[in-house]
Amino acid sequence: MSIPTELINRYPWLPSLKKHYFEIASRSPSIFISEVFSKDFGSDLKERLLDLFEAAFDNLEEISDYKSDRLNVYVYLLLNIFLYALDNQLITNRLANLYSKITYNELTKENNDANLYNICQDLGLKIRYYEPPINYGLNIVKDHHQKLETNFTIHFIDYLRLASNLRDEYRKLVHNSLLEGYVFIQNKRLIRLIQEYVRNRLLIKETEDKASLKAFLSDVSEIKDFKEIIDKILNAWTERKEEFEYTFKIDFESKEDLLTLYPPCVKEILKKTQEGQNLIHNERLFIVWFLLALDYPVEKVVDLFSTMPDFDREKTTYQVNFAKKKKYIPYKCLTLKSLNLCFAANYKDKLCLEGYGSVEPSERKKLAHPLSYTRIKQYRASKEEYYKNREVDEVNE
Amino acid sequence: MSDISYLKRLFRTYYKEKRSEIPTVSLFYHREFGYIPWDKKIMMKRHMSFKSQDSITKHLGNEGPRHVYSSGALYTQPEIQDMDGKGYQGCDFIVDIDVDHFYTPCKEDHDFWYCKECGKSGLGMVHKCPKCGKSKIKTSAWICEKCLDTAKREIIKLIYDFLVSDFGISISQMRIAFSGHRGYHLKIENEQIRNLHSNERREIADYISGENISLEILGLQEKSGTIYSFSGDTYGWAKKIIRKTYEILKKPNSEIQELLSEKEKFDFNKNYIKSFLNSKQDFIDKIADNKYFILPSIEGFGMTNWRKFFTGIVHEVGVEIDTPVTIDIHRLIRYPGSLHGKTGFKVQEIFPDELDDFNPLDEVNEKLDPIVFESKVQTTQKLEVLEAQVPATKIKGKTYGPYTKGEIIEVPHHIAIFLLCKEVVKTI
Repeated sequence: MSIPTELINRYPWLPSLKKHYFEIASRSPSIFISEVFSKDFGSDLKERLLDLFEAAFDNLEEISDYKSDRLNVYVYLLLNIFLYALDNQLITNRLANLYSKITYNELTKENNDANLYNICQDLGLKIRYYEPPINYGLNIVKDHHQKLETNFTIHFIDYLRLASNLRDEYRKLVHNSLLEGYVFIQNKRLIRLIQEYVRNRLLIKETEDKASLKAFLSDVSEIKDFKEIIDKILNAWTERKEEFEYTFKIDFESKEDLLTLYPPCVKEILKKTQEGQNLIHNERLFIVWFLLALDYPVEKVVDLFSTMPDFDREKTTYQVNFAKKKKYIPYKCLTLKSLNLCFAANYKDKLCLEGYGSVEPSERKKLAHPLSYTRIKQYRASKEEYYKNREVDEVNE
Repeated sequence: MSDISYLKRLFRTYYKEKRSEIPTVSLFYHREFGYIPWDKKIMMKRHMSFKSQDSITKHLGNEGPRHVYSSGALYTQPEIQDMDGKGYQGCDFIVDIDVDHFYTPCKEDHDFWYCKECGKSGLGMVHKCPKCGKSKIKTSAWICEKCLDTAKREIIKLIYDFLVSDFGISISQMRIAFSGHRGYHLKIENEQIRNLHSNERREIADYISGENISLEILGLQEKSGTIYSFSGDTYGWAKKIIRKTYEILKKPNSEIQELLSEKEKFDFNKNYIKSFLNSKQDFIDKIADNKYFILPSIEGFGMTNWRKFFTGIVHEVGVEIDTPVTIDIHRLIRYPGSLHGKTGFKVQEIFPDELDDFNPLDEVNEKLDPIVFESKVQTTQKLEVLEAQVPATKIKGKTYGPYTKGEIIEVPHHIAIFLLCKEVVKTI
């Protein structure tokens, strides 16, 4: 089934873009860049691109005069090229978050089931449409019940692929209605899944092939318009860089560097913050409670969130202070596993996977809490220190 | 000849004689194989691959290993030692239902435990020693028809109440096997499912088992003093919970009383059960009239007790699966047609429609019979009992035991192999 070109213009991340704009796909990026900026809409294009970057750096969630016309296709393609050229994970995450949110807003605004269905089809999602909508349960809203109905169901494999990384409790498969392989899903939630698809599509990792990147940069830097835009982006970034860059250092009390003593679940969240990735609600709660439990100063915990796409220092400070006052206990290992926040296997962490307390595997105790991890690591480190000092003493004697 | 050498020889003979009857696994060349030899000093040998079904059966005939496994995962180079270098291509979806992992009342009759810390011992299933609280527990798990029947019910529930009805998975894509000991394995061979990551598999495991379910998200909530329940007029877990609740309410009071007092599931005291039973009809009427979203007012039942009640229902509905097996994409599982070294029974593949009548300890259909060492000529063997207590075992309609340490017994060949594999006797 062919998707209308008008829909591709609005949503250029759709796979059918290649079919509709095959003439662009066959050109090299440098030729494409030169050609596109030499056209009469070149300056408009520049402006739109810079607006996107500015908005992303300003933490905005939408662009007021966002246009979804044919130029939108060029904006999207150029955005991908610029992100590759910039090779900066923080910037990429910012843009991916903003662009996917714009997509969410656009899809929500147009409220068109036929388009939504076509988009899902183009994305290769197994989806079913029902007209009239089908009932699939009740919802209690302020003392009265409300029928849940939807036009859409989505195959559970596609649902899991898109939703399992979002990890909100209500999105878990076990909390959704499932029949004969299809999950009942309301439009708004389906759009949220598409938003996640778009975000992931833009989230290219920093390239490992630096030589190719260098060659590409030397090729395109000859293009005046490209250089001008890149310089403007980098200038804007340099101005705001400090607001986002992760400067969180462990220097409380004993001045001890605790980074080596963290369990994989904490390391993973810290890695995400370093990369400017968005944290889900449970990740935010956990990291705050964990660090506060280790007596981290509030301002240091707040700094940690400065790379988040939706960072607001005042709000965050209030929330962290509130958590400190309440003395919440961080999630235990079992809860982290159920929330998909346990990364013991990914990090191949011996202490998490094999336990502690004995050399004999059958006699080892299982680790039950991430705080115990840090305590055990601290204990081991101090023991090592003690023996090292003793050896030195013995040598001196 | 030592008992181990004897068993090894028997296993080798089995693999040689039954070579042509051992089924193959799909995409054979992409599977990793592994086995555990009889020599206890050697751990599992894995990272092996075979060129053909014939070459593996030949290998088994030479080695006669204690346990044989193949991977659920597919690799481009399964023989590579480093997991990252194997070229992972996807993994079948595997479910393991093993009575070892969940409570059955018959364990009070045949499963022994011993605390290595304080020396206390007893019958049943414990995770921690009831005396010293330590978890250094040695267990001796036995096998009985009741346990295996429970496991069979769980696998049937898994297939029809979850995989077919909810996930829409075709029965033709499922391969089921009796594990040769205390459970069943189910493998789904589906191209799309093979590509699921561990965290996505966990979502399915949680759905099947009901683990990590939030009753509040499903609809159990208190608003302005009224407690609201789930809507049964839906699909998925909310419907399952309401349907099971109705099914239980329709039972005679004595059965409900017994169920609600079960420690492992509901654990209600007499007074709560009495109040519950007093309101039973009201509850039935509400469900029948589709008005169950407001729960009946039962004396002593606030949110805490309702949560406890529905958590018990979730346990009743969910399938007792071993979740780590399902989410582990590099796990090896028993090879069909191989022998289980703890029993001498065959890992028997079964079609779903054969499950109802399947009785691994007394199977009438010869082709499905996992007890392969039953001699046609009634031969017996003399053995000496090594363990303090050996529970009774009913195999092929006859009960053998219980036995105590030092006893000299004479049992048929297949029982002798079973007891030798269990390491509770020695030949004399």
